[in-house]
Amino acid sequence: MSHLSDDDLVLHYYGEDGARMVAVERHLRSCAQCSRGYEELARTLNAVTPPELVEPADDTLEIRRLIRDRMSGRVSPRVSGLTGLEQEAGVIALVWLVLLAYPWALQALFSSGRWAQDHVAFVPLVVLTLIWACAGPFVAVFAVNRMAADRGRERASTRVLVAGALLAAISPALFLLVSRMNAILSLNLGMWSWYGVVALGSLVSLVRWPSTFRSTARFSLVHRLSALVLTVFVLGHVINQALAFVSVPAYTAMRSVMRAASHQPAIYTLIVAAVAIQIVTGAAIGMKNVRAGAVARNLQAVSGWYLAAFLLIHVLSGLFASQPQAAAATTARAVNELNLLASPRAAAALPFLLLGVAAFLFHVGVYARLAALAYLAEASVRRLSYAGAFVGTTVVVTVGLALFGIHLVL
Amino acid sequence: MNDGDVEVFLSLVERHRRYLYNLALRITGNEQDAKDVVQDSLLNAFVHLQEFERRADLRTWLNRILVNCALDHLRARRRRPDLNDPQPIADVADTVASSLPDPERLAVSADCHRQVSEVMNTMSPLERVTFALRHFEGRSINEIAQTLGIGNNAAKQHIFRAVRKIRLALETLGSGR
Repeated sequence: MSHLSDDDLVLHYYGEDGARMVAVERHLRSCAQCSRGYEELARTLNAVTPPELVEPADDTLEIRRLIRDRMSGRVSPRVSGLTGLEQEAGVIALVWLVLLAYPWALQALFSSGRWAQDHVAFVPLVVLTLIWACAGPFVAVFAVNRMAADRGRERASTRVLVAGALLAAISPALFLLVSRMNAILSLNLGMWSWYGVVALGSLVSLVRWPSTFRSTARFSLVHRLSALVLTVFVLGHVINQALAFVSVPAYTAMRSVMRAASHQPAIYTLIVAAVAIQIVTGAAIGMKNVRAGAVARNLQAVSGWYLAAFLLIHVLSGLFASQPQAAAATTARAVNELNLLASPRAAAALPFLLLGVAAFLFHVGVYARLAALAYLAEASVRRLSYAGAFVGTTVVVTVGLALFGIHLVL
Repeated sequence: MNDGDVEVFLSLVERHRRYLYNLALRITGNEQDAKDVVQDSLLNAFVHLQEFERRADLRTWLNRILVNCALDHLRARRRRPDLNDPQPIADVADTVASSLPDPERLAVSADCHRQVSEVMNTMSPLERVTFALRHFEGRSINEIAQTLGIGNNAAKQHIFRAVRKIRLALETLGSGR
């Protein structure tokens, strides 16, 4: 047996080395170096002992009051959240404000883009308005990260916060869906259809939600398998979108090949099935996993929410394409021609597509980081995360430049 | 649920309160946090009492709720570094200092005490909880992973990292003398 690692010694100390226990013990008897290492470890860990058991103060009255407050619908200051009631109210206001202001962000993006085409001095304004239009998912992560500890979503304020965060996270995709449905159904409601959907979302948050699954572990395998299928296709699309920055002809050629492949009935069915599985299992996992302070989990959940909405719109795009809508056709042409500042409607596709790429990279990246933590040292994972963040940012910026009509080779 | 249900619930959990409080104390490292975690856990347990009726062991169920509440609490506390309590997490036995005369031994012991507290505060919430459950509570890695809803490998890695931090802190202390 070769020398034992520090981790082997820790497992042996805690008696967690299972079938290897006898072999490890035998090795420790015969190897002075490992034996010395084990003794040092044991001496250190033996020195860390728990506090003496103490008798807790009787706070039954306080617990009784907390429970009665909860039963009567009142919320005690501490239970309302560790961050305080005012902060919770502020976060709720922020997520709903992002939703309500989203159409203005698009208008500002389109106008500033037009001005920038005339004068380069407006380019920073385009960047600012783009950040505003893409703010939804980031505000959502910020919000769920600060929600009170309320796993069962028992409190109305928690549900208002989570629903607002969910809608804010998917706002670019939802806005596109609403405006397309508006056009297909010839409702001509304008912005009222958007505000109607937001109002509906706020009403849903007020009623008690059915309890979520106690464990979503059984969904994880199905979710990962379907994700694997989709990753192949999505990665192809992301690479192609980034390629558009380098060369438009190469982008167009690759897009034609990918479209021809994805229009094959068998492949199309596989993609639709994988998207459906992703949405259903992702919804169950994502709604359960968000919790205060768990930044990685929240990033994973919020990027998952956005990806679900993004993929749903992509699958439904066949339905939209079949509708003889001039506006939809104009948007599709603008996307195909990578000129998303052609109209305000086309500009709505800009944050939608950019966030789609970013959500995919975040979702896969955070999963990879969490998985890597089980096998690699924290410092190595941190270094890999920085490298991944750099590559991801480069990809998003490249795709963004291409979508703005900036290409190295036309 | 009515007032009678509250009283039945309180009498049921009363016999586990000491155990829960001490478990919370070992995980969070200070009395106020332990008290808050126990209260939050009992409140959560009451709200989800119907879910318990399908289970057999009240203490196991309460334990699971408490560990996850403590984890949430540590995560929230981490976002507010001003509230990281400097109170000691663990008593450090005299093992390190056993060979030294009394006054010096007490000084080393106090140093260890402080060092362990400080290093526990630098641990991530998951490192802290998994280490406390494995080291102080003697829970198996498999059990810890199930309670926290994480994989066995992930639980192991959190414990390894926690142990590395403890060793680094205490061995530095030892070599400094």
